[in-house]
Amino acid sequence: MKAIVYFVVGLLLVSCSQEPTLQKFFVESAEKKDFIALDVSSSILNLDKAQLSAEQRQALESFDKMNIVAFKATPKNQAQYEVEKSKVKDILKGEEYQELMSFGSGSTGASVSYIGTDDNIKEFIFYANKKENGFAVVRVTGDNMNPNNVMTMLSVLQKSNIDLDQLKPLQGLMK
Amino acid sequence: MRKLILIIVFALVSNTFFAQTAFDKFDDNDKITAIKVNKKMFELMGKVEAKDKEAKEYIGLVKKLDNLRVFVTSDDKLSGEMKLTADKYLKANGMEELMRINEKGKSVKIYVKSGAKDTQVKELLMFIEGSGKEETVLMSLTGNFDLDELSALTDKMNLPGGDELSKAGKGKK
Repeated sequence: MKAIVYFVVGLLLVSCSQEPTLQKFFVESAEKKDFIALDVSSSILNLDKAQLSAEQRQALESFDKMNIVAFKATPKNQAQYEVEKSKVKDILKGEEYQELMSFGSGSTGASVSYIGTDDNIKEFIFYANKKENGFAVVRVTGDNMNPNNVMTMLSVLQKSNIDLDQLKPLQGLMK
Repeated sequence: MRKLILIIVFALVSNTFFAQTAFDKFDDNDKITAIKVNKKMFELMGKVEAKDKEAKEYIGLVKKLDNLRVFVTSDDKLSGEMKLTADKYLKANGMEELMRINEKGKSVKIYVKSGAKDTQVKELLMFIEGSGKEETVLMSLTGNFDLDELSALTDKMNLPGGDELSKAGKGKK
């Protein structure tokens, strides 16, 4: 019995240290030249908080920030593109990540996954890739994000005046 | 302990888990567009508070859905493969043909696996065989829902073959 306990603990320790996480991937990629990385906070929405309903304010508060990392594919870095893309795909296949939906055909597609429980979503992850352009991973973190808050956020977005300048670095990717 | 394991294995094998692996080979193929909405997504959607009657109905249905998978291709060879896989799957899962429609050169066949009641459906499989340049669509929807409710869903989700499904809902009464 003791042996089993040690074994399980050992496994856990090993898996914790070796498993790549999206967080690590984000940090590592920010340093690499083929990547564009940016962090966005809710200030991008340029919202006049006074104009929001209590429900909307609560939804807004449940969202913390958004990290975006994008790999710009060029004819010269195709090999690197495949390597980095596989890294992300492998991470998203990890146990913590639950895929909500996906759409695509091989080299082009998108997926939405999350970490957490139904009522307390810790992270939303959007992943999209297009062979000629590259891929992007958007990680939205928050506290107590739940389906209702997400729906409310959509109505908040309608009221917002998204500060596009903050997204300028991504323009290069989307051509 | 052993009994418990056996029960779990049996449950896993005999339910939707099997559905997912039969069509997995169509994922990740440049010539096939694959759409997948997982049970978790439907669960989360089901948790949104409904503000009006239509939303309530929609959310009520969404809670009864498990997994949705749609595969679309224009490639002849892959269409053939999809058809073979679908046929094998239908036989293996004892699904019955609910209806077939031939419209504008497209052959639409809808199969179901009934649940406890006649109008309750545990699984729906739709196969649209296009000829020539038309697309072939394979759709699999699992859960525990009523056919009538299905047209509400296809309207909202804009799925290929939505019209045919609404007819199916009205047909089987």
